[in-house]
Amino acid sequence: MTLLGGIGFIAPWLLVALAALPILWLVLRAVPPTPTRYRFPGVVLILGLRDDDTISDRTPWWLALLRILAVACTIVGLAGPVLNPNPDTTGSGPVLLVLDGGWSGATRWPATQELLSAKLAEAHRSQRPVAILQLTDPDTPTFHTADALTGRGADMKPNPWTVTPDQLDRATRLLAEMGGSFDTWWFSDGLSYPGHSDFLAALEDRGDVRVFQSSSSVIGLTPVQFEDGRITISAIRSTVGLPRYITIFIRGLDPAGTSRVLDSITTGFKADATQVDTDLSLPAELLARVTRFEIAEQHSAGAVVLADDRLRHRPEVALISGHDVGEGLDLLSPSHYLEQALVPIADLLYGVLLDIIPANPDVIILADITTISAAEQAALIEWIENGGLLLRFAGPRLAASDIGRDDEHPLLPVRLRAGGRSLGGAMSWGEPKVLAPFAEESPFFGLTIPSDVLVNSQLVAQPDPTLADRVIAALNDGTPLVTRKELGQGQIILFHVTANAEWSTLPLSGLFISMLERLAAFSANQTPKARDLEGTTWVPVRVMDGFGRLLDAENLPGVDGPTLAEAKIGPNLQPGVYQNGDRRLARNVLMPDATLTPVRWPERIPVEGLSVSPELPMGSILLAATLILLVADVIASLALSGRLMSVRGKAVLVFALGTALAPMADAQTTAEDELATLATSELALAHVLTGDARVDEMAQAGLQGLSNVLFYRTSVEPIKPIGVDLERDELAFFPLLYWPVTLGQPYPSDQAYAKLNIYLRSGGLILFDTRDADIAGFSTASPNGRKLQDLVAPLAIPPLETVPADHVLTRTFYLIKDFPGRYAGRDIWVEAAPPDAEQIEGMPFRNLNDGVTPILIGGNDWAGAWAVDRNGTPMNPVGRGFAGERQRELAYRFGVNLVMHVLTGNYKSDQVHVPALLDRLGQ
Amino acid sequence: MPDIDLRARSEEEASRLPPLLARAEHLAGTVLLGDHGRRRSGLGDDFWQYRPAQSGDSKRMIDHRRSAQSDQQYVREREWQIAQAVMVWVDQSASMRFSSDRALSTKIDRARLLSLAIAILLIRGGERVGLTGTSLPPRRGNAQLMRLAQFLVQDDETDYAPPEHHGMIPHARAMFVSDFLGDLTEVKLALTKAADRGVRGVLMQVLDPIEEAFPFHGRTIFESIDGTLRHETLKAANLRDRYLERLADRKKVLRRLCRATGWHLGLHHTDQSAQSALLWLYRALDRSTA
Repeated sequence: MTLLGGIGFIAPWLLVALAALPILWLVLRAVPPTPTRYRFPGVVLILGLRDDDTISDRTPWWLALLRILAVACTIVGLAGPVLNPNPDTTGSGPVLLVLDGGWSGATRWPATQELLSAKLAEAHRSQRPVAILQLTDPDTPTFHTADALTGRGADMKPNPWTVTPDQLDRATRLLAEMGGSFDTWWFSDGLSYPGHSDFLAALEDRGDVRVFQSSSSVIGLTPVQFEDGRITISAIRSTVGLPRYITIFIRGLDPAGTSRVLDSITTGFKADATQVDTDLSLPAELLARVTRFEIAEQHSAGAVVLADDRLRHRPEVALISGHDVGEGLDLLSPSHYLEQALVPIADLLYGVLLDIIPANPDVIILADITTISAAEQAALIEWIENGGLLLRFAGPRLAASDIGRDDEHPLLPVRLRAGGRSLGGAMSWGEPKVLAPFAEESPFFGLTIPSDVLVNSQLVAQPDPTLADRVIAALNDGTPLVTRKELGQGQIILFHVTANAEWSTLPLSGLFISMLERLAAFSANQTPKARDLEGTTWVPVRVMDGFGRLLDAENLPGVDGPTLAEAKIGPNLQPGVYQNGDRRLARNVLMPDATLTPVRWPERIPVEGLSVSPELPMGSILLAATLILLVADVIASLALSGRLMSVRGKAVLVFALGTALAPMADAQTTAEDELATLATSELALAHVLTGDARVDEMAQAGLQGLSNVLFYRTSVEPIKPIGVDLERDELAFFPLLYWPVTLGQPYPSDQAYAKLNIYLRSGGLILFDTRDADIAGFSTASPNGRKLQDLVAPLAIPPLETVPADHVLTRTFYLIKDFPGRYAGRDIWVEAAPPDAEQIEGMPFRNLNDGVTPILIGGNDWAGAWAVDRNGTPMNPVGRGFAGERQRELAYRFGVNLVMHVLTGNYKSDQVHVPALLDRLGQ
Repeated sequence: MPDIDLRARSEEEASRLPPLLARAEHLAGTVLLGDHGRRRSGLGDDFWQYRPAQSGDSKRMIDHRRSAQSDQQYVREREWQIAQAVMVWVDQSASMRFSSDRALSTKIDRARLLSLAIAILLIRGGERVGLTGTSLPPRRGNAQLMRLAQFLVQDDETDYAPPEHHGMIPHARAMFVSDFLGDLTEVKLALTKAADRGVRGVLMQVLDPIEEAFPFHGRTIFESIDGTLRHETLKAANLRDRYLERLADRKKVLRRLCRATGWHLGLHHTDQSAQSALLWLYRALDRSTA
């Protein structure tokens, strides 16, 4: 191969032909283009006309240049040019390829392998025998011809540990067993390890050493740390120098169970820092689902941190509140907001104090409880001293009692003044108070205080010498709001307001949840120490390979607890998830206090990068360029002779362009999006598609009729009704589903039923219509009735009753008693009223259940009565004569009431109290 | 059966116009006599006037509807109408068998279409239509149309054909349809001969758009349709101006000739609609008979 200006040529003598190009140029310019023949009757008019100059049109210079270029490309292409030709290798004798093969090289493993095969090829060319030694998995190196090892080089994988002293010892022993001298090519991971320099010296004794190592820094993640309720994760790197940004992906299972990126954090090393700490501010519920943290674009086991029980830990919280309240008074219950706030982050326990304390919950919450018996108090104190957290909330009872008035009560952090104070009420001058920013030593430090958190009433602490130390949250006038007292290993915390919204808006705010999370997280597990795990054996469940991928542990042996906690990662302790009983511990590559030490090579050792510039034969590229130039020449020639746009010319052009351009893919908008946009931009009534064209058409026409009536008479202005396919379409957009029951309709799939149940739970209403005039009264005697029972069996349907006379459906818009459709059938069925609903004296109606009945069942063929054609005239006759039209009107009124009921809930139910209220106020 | 097809298309074109009513040439003579134009009673289909019945009028000539309105008896008179002879010559030579684009019809196709359409109109109006020369003397009736169509589809093998001017009936009408790219002296001879016999008419020049545009470049060889004439040029674009000049000259000569002989000159391009040309022909023939 001959080198010309960095480009090698296989057949350089062919380039001589380039000298002929100037001659070709002259020839091309001299020869006129071939004449075009035309049959033209007007020739008689040009007979005898002479050309002005006798010189013919010559080939334009650019066309000649194009052709010269094409010829030049052909000549050079045939000469076989090669970009980056490998210089001839020097050296002889056997070569030992040493690889570190630890996790820190995994990210650049593809580059390493490419270089390895390039080096093997080089050795093959120069006929040098080769042996391979991977230090993380040392095996006796034997010299083979290089091509025999090509397959082995491609099969090698990085191990999830760095070189251990044991392995280095073994490698040194293996070296000693090898006779003779050899050169060494060392593929380094970039991290130093004990004994590195000794091993290097041993290699240098046998021959020259060349080192191949990437210049970029090794980055790793150290395990998650728990401190003061905060969770931090640290990234470390081996070399300093430049600032560097990294992105940490937090992966976990979504509710459907598939792994996805839950969150990502972008952080950066400062120029001279090898470590960067990052706070994880994930909601506890999300945190519980995290399976692993990993650094983006780092594919090594060291850049992965596996999560285990410690993240998933849910504290047990015992919730003890004063009194039970009945249905409908949830919002007034002292524990309601606590439950709502704690359910996502904790397991809640309910019961009597003495039963609960033996269960050793992490937190006990007393919401406005004053009466604690002596036995309970003793047990509680013991429990707190052993590390329990007692969380107390004030309330009217605590305010009215006299505990902690004169002396500090053992279960209260401070002394309290009698009665508390009211702020901003009708009888006080002050404004409601807001919270002061949290002090730095407060566990709540760093939480943002929403401006709408106002305190109206509170219990006030007696000024005591110890008071200042015990305040962890205060109002902006300095009054303590939350106080804390240490007791043994545990603590007692008192909120000076109620746990419900009676005294303050604190429980309504997100701040309340954050505060509770912080308090509950106090008792989160710490990283287990070796002594905690003494005597336990942990079985690997999933282990990581060098790239950080989780593999099945297969039949790896179990590991002792202390080993798992303290020992270094190696072939006998692979990183991964280990299990003991129902506990799971993750063992990561790096320990919390790990550092990454870069390897320092002596000056005498040549260190090269990992990049390989492969040989690139350019002959084919040049020949392809020739083809392209020739196509351009065809087009240009056609254009010159005026035939480009003739029929044949077009065909040529289309062919030329067609080979050059790939068809473009159309963007598609999905039908789902269209439906969603349509259904959410305006209100639309919907009906379930049954598959029976006639029934579907009638349902559509019926809802159209009802929509028209709503449009004319009420402020509800629906758009065209939509038929929904239960299997495909999203239901959440529709407040009301009309479901005509037909014998032939298929049963929805399980997914569709799940969707329907969600729809019903989230406030949707389904109107089932058996359209059989309810002849059978919903027994199994009517075919449609039987079908209905089968259809709704998998649905979560509450107890039903026939519509009572005082149901809100009878008065949401019109006052109606019957609900006729085409048939003036019997009762229709709705969700039953709660059993304890009673009529209050003086009220016209019972105070029935909140919300909307999720289901309504009847058989009056309402759609048939509502149905109108395109001109707005009724499609079906109803009854006879005027009475029939009256029935149709009543059917429409039922429809209007139904839609109003769906849209306004029990609003009308409240409104009916107005006369009574006015009456009570005495006009 | 190309003639059937041609006839069908011609019928189609002709059906779009009201029948052409040729006015009798010799009525012009009455104008010269000072009478009111051609308005004389005579044989015809259109109502002319009622006049009181005179002795000698047969009983069946009395118009009873008019007579019943008064005591007098009236006779209904009709306007005198007379048929004209119209002779057509269509250039069938090879130069007419040319179209520059597949989408355009050839010149001869368009010429035949126009000629037959006008013939249909004339025959429907009661005129006699024939070809110049002795092959097909003017006759009336639909059978003549069939014969016309048969003669019109016979191609001529010569490159440029001179107008046929034999057998022209005195005071008849004539229509020459050609591209007039051949020898103009023949045209001049035909027109002067026609003028001598009191024959007036229309010259219809049919050209292809490319013959007006001359959009050629570079080295080109031009050939006439049957290949007898040939011209090679190295720079066709340079010929354009001179070609157009010659074409304009030719049109000017034709125009002058027509003005001298009282003929009308029309120009039709094959990319224009045949109907507009037919309309023009209809008017021009109408004018030439006035």
